Amino acid sequence: MASMWVENLRKAQKTCLVQNGRRKIHFTLTDGTELAEEYDLRNDELVVRKWRRKGTIGGIGKWEFEVGEELMIRNLESEGLVENSSNPIFTRKDTKTAFQWRVRNLPYPKETYIVGIDEGQQHISIRTTNKKYYKKFDIPDMNRIQLALEQENLSFAYANNTLIVSYQKPEPILELEKLLQEEFRNMKASKDGDVDCTPS
Amino acid sequence: MAAPTVEKVQEIREVTRIERIGAHSHIRGLGLDDALEARNVSQGMVGQLEARRAAGIILEMIKEGKIAGRAVLIAGHPGTGKTAIAMGMAQALGTDTPFTSIAGSEIFSLEMSKTEALTQAFRKSIGVRIKEETEIIEGEVVEIQIDRPATGTGAKVGKLTLKTTEMETIYDLGQKMIESLTQEKVQAGDIITIDKATGKITKLGRSFTRARDYDAMGAQTRFVQCPEGELQKRKEVVHTVTLHEIDVINSRTQGFLALFSGDTGEIKSEVREQINGKVAEWREEGKAEIVPGVLFIDEVHMLDIECFSFLNRALESDMAPILIMATNRGITRIRGTHYQSPHGIPIDLLDRLLIISTVPYEEKEIKQILKIRCEEEDVEMSDDALTVLTRIGMETSLRYAIQLITTANLVARKRKATEVDVDDIKRVYSLFLDESRSTQFLKEYQQEFMFNEMATETMETS
Repeated sequence: MASMWVENLRKAQKTCLVQNGRRKIHFTLTDGTELAEEYDLRNDELVVRKWRRKGTIGGIGKWEFEVGEELMIRNLESEGLVENSSNPIFTRKDTKTAFQWRVRNLPYPKETYIVGIDEGQQHISIRTTNKKYYKKFDIPDMNRIQLALEQENLSFAYANNTLIVSYQKPEPILELEKLLQEEFRNMKASKDGDVDCTPS
Repeated sequence: MAAPTVEKVQEIREVTRIERIGAHSHIRGLGLDDALEARNVSQGMVGQLEARRAAGIILEMIKEGKIAGRAVLIAGHPGTGKTAIAMGMAQALGTDTPFTSIAGSEIFSLEMSKTEALTQAFRKSIGVRIKEETEIIEGEVVEIQIDRPATGTGAKVGKLTLKTTEMETIYDLGQKMIESLTQEKVQAGDIITIDKATGKITKLGRSFTRARDYDAMGAQTRFVQCPEGELQKRKEVVHTVTLHEIDVINSRTQGFLALFSGDTGEIKSEVREQINGKVAEWREEGKAEIVPGVLFIDEVHMLDIECFSFLNRALESDMAPILIMATNRGITRIRGTHYQSPHGIPIDLLDRLLIISTVPYEEKEIKQILKIRCEEEDVEMSDDALTVLTRIGMETSLRYAIQLITTANLVARKRKATEVDVDDIKRVYSLFLDESRSTQFLKEYQQEFMFNEMATETMETS
């Protein structure tokens, strides 16, 4: 199964760029979907992974962040409504050995949170006993190679108004990531600012 | 005693009614029964039985949606309800069938060619019903707070708190969203959905937890459960977009923002062809369904010969909508030529049309229309005054008589009466000239007006 995902990426049109200490790779998959990833050069950690899918009736959609967060300030007028800044902010930020999610702006004590895996073994859910926050999410990396989630790999911690949920990466994922990193390292990356513009 | 209560009633109406009263806002349908027979007075329509019955048959054809590219001409004297019939058809079709209404002179623009404007109007009238996954926010309104700035001018600031059974989120509101929330009269305890992409708000009902509130609520208030899970979810919704909207979304990178600003410019024919192919593909796959709508061109004699020949061609396409045109001209010159033709429309196009004609209203009907308009405009009128107004309507025109309703009401209010009387009608009749009296006046005093110092026979009027 892992090979199918790798195969998909291999077939995709790729552009690689090294900029600001990050290896940025842009994929255009065969169905027209765009995928952009950014890896830290020092430790090969995934910083950003975002998707842009085509709308049903055409047009270009917005970037959807799978990993990392959108830094662009959102415009209230063009969006219509925007979540207030006092709301909890949910982002994914992986480490070498674990998938990790951070929910900032959560002021409630640690006992409030219930983190678990639902029956279908597909989703992780964060609940609060005071019914203020709820989030259900899956791990696309695991879905892509069709692995079920296991309760014992899941853990969470709470400090400084932030809830951190971690899921230990299983062996197949680690292998896949190693394989992909090898591939990326072999890609020819254009360096930022090294465009040859000497007049002849 | 009576005066304050009436005022109060008006106050309440002002709060609930945000829409303004237009010339045809009293029309709610064609007023036909199930057998397509026209009821004499129904849904704001009066008289014109033949024309309405004909329109009803056309309506059936549209609803079946099989026939493409038929055209109908509504011809009749000014003020005989041509636009009213078209409006009635639009109302009867419901909101899901695209109905585009333009005036013949609208297509003459410096920014767009005539045929482009017509093509866009055509494509605005064809809907595509398609399933699409969109991001929606669904929840119960906990609190809605809209603040006006202290200075009185400037942008309003708004906050909306929504909840589900599991969570609660506060949203900041933009200007457009504040407007549509006020328009939908959303309040705490309502269950609403907001389509994130389009900003469309749908009220699902009131929360069960609020069922005990002794609020004033109509019999049609629905109670629904507070939604579960996350506030934001992806949902497959079926909605109707027009071909024009698809064109615009695909025609440039900044896509649908152009739809809001209205600045769509000309759309390349390659884009259109590509969209047509796509839509045909979706149809074959069963993903989408075509909803042919109606294009209504009022004052169609304002189109010129180029437009007419374009229409001839455009109607042949199987993607064409039903075209309804209205004109009040008799045999006249076709714009852009020296030829005379019935209704100012070339014979070859006339040949493709089904023609519905409207006849002048009878006295009884005029009275009925005036009565309906009085209700629509919140004017109370004595029977005598209505009879006088009807006579005025017969002798001058229906439009002039309708104009007198509001003005007479203002006169009546100034003398602190609640009901419009004959004297009020007389007074406004003397204050405002109708068209024939004005012509009479001009004939008598022509000499006193500007540019008549030199004695010429007649003014050049063409």
